[in-house]
Amino acid sequence: MLEQVMNQYNEAIMDTDRDRALHVVRDALGLEISPEEVVFKIVVPAIELMMKSISENQGVSLAQHFMAAQIASEVVDEMVPQFKKAPEIVGKVVIGTSRGDFHGLGKRIVSGCLKAMMIEVTDLGLNVAPERFVDEALAQDAQVIAISSMMVHTAKGENGCLRVRQLLKEQELEKRIRIAVGGAPYRFDPELYKSVGADAWAENGITAGRVITDLIREVRK
Amino acid sequence: MMTGMERLSAAINGTPADRIPVFCNLLDQGAKELGLSIEEYYKSGENVAEAQLKMRAKYGYDCLWSLFYVGKEAELLGCSKMIYAKDGPPNVGEMIIKKYDDIAKLQVPDDITSHPAFAEELKCLRILKAEAGGKYPICAYLTASMTMPALLMGIEKWMQMLMMGPNDLRDELLAKCSDFFQKQIAAYRAAGADVLVYSNPFGSTDFIPRKFFNELSLPWMERDLSPGGTNGIVYYCGSARFNNVIEAVINRLGIGVFYLSPMDDIAEGKRLVAGRGLTCGVINDIMLLEWSKEQIRSEVKRMIEAGKPGGKFLFGTLVMPYNIPEENIRTMLEAAYEYGRFDTP
Repeated sequence: MLEQVMNQYNEAIMDTDRDRALHVVRDALGLEISPEEVVFKIVVPAIELMMKSISENQGVSLAQHFMAAQIASEVVDEMVPQFKKAPEIVGKVVIGTSRGDFHGLGKRIVSGCLKAMMIEVTDLGLNVAPERFVDEALAQDAQVIAISSMMVHTAKGENGCLRVRQLLKEQELEKRIRIAVGGAPYRFDPELYKSVGADAWAENGITAGRVITDLIREVRK
Repeated sequence: MMTGMERLSAAINGTPADRIPVFCNLLDQGAKELGLSIEEYYKSGENVAEAQLKMRAKYGYDCLWSLFYVGKEAELLGCSKMIYAKDGPPNVGEMIIKKYDDIAKLQVPDDITSHPAFAEELKCLRILKAEAGGKYPICAYLTASMTMPALLMGIEKWMQMLMMGPNDLRDELLAKCSDFFQKQIAAYRAAGADVLVYSNPFGSTDFIPRKFFNELSLPWMERDLSPGGTNGIVYYCGSARFNNVIEAVINRLGIGVFYLSPMDDIAEGKRLVAGRGLTCGVINDIMLLEWSKEQIRSEVKRMIEAGKPGGKFLFGTLVMPYNIPEENIRTMLEAAYEYGRFDTP
């Protein structure tokens, strides 16, 4: 039964059909599938399957990433209040676009995926100053700062990741807080994350979920 | 020696030439050339024209640009705030469409040529035409109706509307953007632009699923292009790949020039175009910030070897970040001229 529901949900996700996907999970509750199973055995595996499709270059589009994250986020919002007990939070992330960058799609996809993985996300929005990334990470007790940049000068600029790294260093926070980056310039130069001082990069919003989860584990080790 | 226009014509028509055409998209670098800040530089069409002519003469490539920056189109539709950087392109600093009600208020100017934001571009085009018209192709940049809303409401909100509706408002916005496109392209053609780069990341299945491409992108592109036809049009999806839609673009739209993504397989692109048009191989120019001279030469050689056999091939660049060292620009271009040479009989 669970496998059948999973397949139906995955098909709806790949078809970017939000209404059908929500219908599938709501119907699943009537089939004695618990809200916890909906999230952890249907929604999260669907994101993992999409990661696999991306890594195998199966032509998954940005719109499909967006809808998978959007639907996952909506399902989690609907299911978590119905959990028998509050879910355990895996970790905390603050996310935003770098200073001078106004492209918010990537961070929205990342946020949706992280939410499904029980990672608390504080979205700082667009055009975020490096100081604010660090201040908010401290205030939220976040393990990861995630910085999205769609342009070369905002990825490499002195008010982006480079400055965040410098602030973490100055305040001796490097063991407590990791930096993840993403966005077009990193896809065109896979080594760029190192030169801007990030700990890791993700090729797209969906795989960012895995990259950030790994960084949280590192910090919590 | 042939001119850039002669090389481009030869490449399109498959006739003999000294070498393949080489297009280099230097935009913000014009500010450096004139010793100005980027903000100061873009205030005047004279500045842009002067720098475009200087940079083309200095490096010897085959094109000129009338484009200032992509956000200019949002200014024509009412955006009054641009964010300037000291080492990169200006960004739209204010979204005209903040809420769905704003779509009804969006006004497409009757005559965009009288709009102050267009006046400087026209000035630039007129100078380029007077100084280099007929010798070097003058390129203009136009955003397709499917992509334009990203400049007006942000890509995040546009993706949401595109995928989740409301569809009536989505179509109202697309119709306005398509009307704007038709006026803009007519204005560029009237002002003498030779090459019209039709920019549409939403014309790539990297952005949207094939179903959406067939059901939305293709019809809206048909609407954009129907009044003026496809003469001079270059199909371009930003950095997104589009080899797998080339057949549909040729059959449905009749476009004959394809400016591939750096991530597209050039040889495959040429095979798909199959002599029915010009294939443009595009270098991953972000790497020009990092690559050594040898790496640059090797990449240019690889690309040209994949695209040059049989002709109908152009070498091009993508975004050309502001901080690429001049030496690396020269190395890339010299390699393109060298490997792109045709042996004379």
